[in-house]
Amino acid sequence: MKKFLITIFVVLFGFHVNQIFAQSDELVNVCALGIGNATYLKDYKVKLSSSSVSPPSAKFNVIMNKGTMYKLTACNAQGYPGEAVIQLKENATLLGTNLKGDGTFVKAIGFQCNKTGMYSINVLFKDGKEGAAVVILSYINM
Amino acid sequence: MKRTMYNFVFIILLVIGFNLVGCQGNGNKKSSDDIEIPEDIFGDDKPLLISQEAMGDIIDNISSPVEMAALLKSTGVPFSQKLLASTDRADDLNTNFKQALNLGIYGCDLGYLNMYEKTGSVMTNMTTIKSLANELRIGQFFDFSTIKRLATNNENLDSLMYISVSSFNNMDEYLRKSNRSNISSLIVTGMWVEGMYLATQVVKYAPQDNVIERIADQKLVLNDLILVLKNYKSDPNFASIVEDIETIKKEYQGVKITYEMGEPEAKEVDGMLIIVQNDKQHIDISDETLSNIIATIETVRNKIINL
Repeated sequence: MKKFLITIFVVLFGFHVNQIFAQSDELVNVCALGIGNATYLKDYKVKLSSSSVSPPSAKFNVIMNKGTMYKLTACNAQGYPGEAVIQLKENATLLGTNLKGDGTFVKAIGFQCNKTGMYSINVLFKDGKEGAAVVILSYINM
Repeated sequence: MKRTMYNFVFIILLVIGFNLVGCQGNGNKKSSDDIEIPEDIFGDDKPLLISQEAMGDIIDNISSPVEMAALLKSTGVPFSQKLLASTDRADDLNTNFKQALNLGIYGCDLGYLNMYEKTGSVMTNMTTIKSLANELRIGQFFDFSTIKRLATNNENLDSLMYISVSSFNNMDEYLRKSNRSNISSLIVTGMWVEGMYLATQVVKYAPQDNVIERIADQKLVLNDLILVLKNYKSDPNFASIVEDIETIKKEYQGVKITYEMGEPEAKEVDGMLIIVQNDKQHIDISDETLSNIIATIETVRNKIINL
């Protein structure tokens, strides 16, 4: 009986994990097709737990090219309280964020890159809440 | 006993419920994420020079070929079919090494075709990609029927581009997660070489400053690419491709890149934060250096497509 229950647990857990991945894929599709006059390049899936002390964050490095206008768009997954904060950085310097001073968000970040090099996209959730989100990197068709 | 039976029935119903929900949620999804692929591609069990994670990070950083294709299109240079690799030789690619490198080549060509909306040729290219991906056991990431529908009906070309690019991204992510970064590194190398080939050929016949600059600033990518490939250098095939990429790197010694720092400016436009970088990048590349880069890229690319 014990073995049977363990098997059931594994099956249920497997389905749960599978569902999480399926949901994040769906979110990528929805988010990527809603980026307006831009062309999809990459997506970054982020799921972070809550923390009141030091909000956890995810970091993604990317090479951006001179002469390209990039766009970063975040889409939050339903069922989580956290709202994704995107920070675009060059080394340790913050170039911009989607979180405004008044606590509201801009729809997206546009970055006119004039220097080819490594940049980082940091994602965390406002007020350290638990959250799941997808960030789409695209370029704006000029 | 009766209580145990009730529990049993309850659990079975729960499992069926989850099954149904799972099936509904994955109607059009790839279901082969769970396929186990044995790691016996090259039989190289020597330790890696850099961690899988660091390598994944580097591979992820190498720019998308779509950006290069977009740049070429933005110059007004017309589409040229003759620049693309022939799909006739796909059946001759009989090792994972050749298949992975050429999958990258065809993947880059797909981006170029999509960018110029050559949907007729997309299908021929896609058939080859699918065949090579199947050989590498990653064909499940290409939703061939949807791509075919979008391409044949000339409908929603943004979606066609999105599906094409995301298929490669998902495939790459899967390869890295399943410890097959060797394959991933070859695909990325093929893509990079082909992107450079397209750009250098355009410049050869119609010099454009912004394309020359993009070619020159790939100097920044070369070291990373070599670092990744060197992980598998004990395999003679990898040693050979490292040597090829190093010949390209050698030609880049004449490229000088300098920077002038400036303060970025930010403003909100229609609900979007626009950041303008005021740093300046200066590229110094002589005609001779450029000609050598063009020639070396051509040699390496032709070697790959004739493997």
